Amino acid sequence: MCVNALEIGIVESRFLRKLIGYSYESPSRERNLSNLPDEGLIESYISEKDNSAFEEIFNRYIDRVYGLALRITRDPDQSEEVLQEVFLTLIKKVEGFRGEAKFSSWLYRVTMNASLMRLRSEKKYESDISLDEYVPYDEKGTLMGKIRSKDWSSRPDIVIYSKESMKIIEDAVNELPESFRVVFHLRDIEGLSNEESSRILDISVPAVKSRLHRARLFLRDKLSDYFSEWSKLK
Amino acid sequence: MICKGVVENIMGYIDAELDYETLEELEKHLAECPECKSFVLTYKRMLELTGKLRERTFVTPEIRAKLKDLLRSKIDR
Repeated sequence: MCVNALEIGIVESRFLRKLIGYSYESPSRERNLSNLPDEGLIESYISEKDNSAFEEIFNRYIDRVYGLALRITRDPDQSEEVLQEVFLTLIKKVEGFRGEAKFSSWLYRVTMNASLMRLRSEKKYESDISLDEYVPYDEKGTLMGKIRSKDWSSRPDIVIYSKESMKIIEDAVNELPESFRVVFHLRDIEGLSNEESSRILDISVPAVKSRLHRARLFLRDKLSDYFSEWSKLK
Repeated sequence: MICKGVVENIMGYIDAELDYETLEELEKHLAECPECKSFVLTYKRMLELTGKLRERTFVTPEIRAKLKDLLRSKIDR
């Protein structure tokens, strides 16, 4: 028997409502919405015309949708357009959402596609850094170059988390080629699993891990550059 | 364990996915090799720092309000 995620969401949602004493007329309804899974909220929006369920989804995802769009396009205006497009698509297609994918995966994928479409149509500057062969050791296995930089891990938090170093890391992330940037964003900024990132990007889990590995090494090198320079100035 | 092994296993080490034998070998190496130890410590610091990017909210109240108005006009229920 095929039980899809939406059906699970409906059952889960009804179960949760029973469990927590939820009813449509209940004045405490809004409080309880935050406990519902995404799929339960979508079900509530579709079947009960419950706009507050949609609002909960809106609040859960507005920053994430905009953040991913901004990470890909690196343009606030385009990111706002993507944000509008994604939520309009959600309204338009929500009735047909049958839980073939986890809701969040579906939303991230719609966001990514809308962002990539803008990025590519603009033919905007894209990083020409190649991380495909980013291996920071020689054929004998000895660590090379910047990777050997002085240990900056014991710098005080006030330095590590300064506005300036946050700007450095933000710029460095934006310098990553798009295919690495988006993996890094989903895994290390959004905190998604390798498996969910793989589903969103439609690439294998080993490919997610490989891109993430190279992106992280690149970013560590960038920070090493910055903190080495910082040491010379102090 | 050579240094290349540390770089190759760093993700598994951070995510606690290494098998016992590899983990033991790696930790033994880290205790003996200051450069590799520095590499691991700075890698972890980098992750802490990039994790902070998550806390940055990009959507301004204006963008939020504009989107809400747009959606309200579409959700005529």
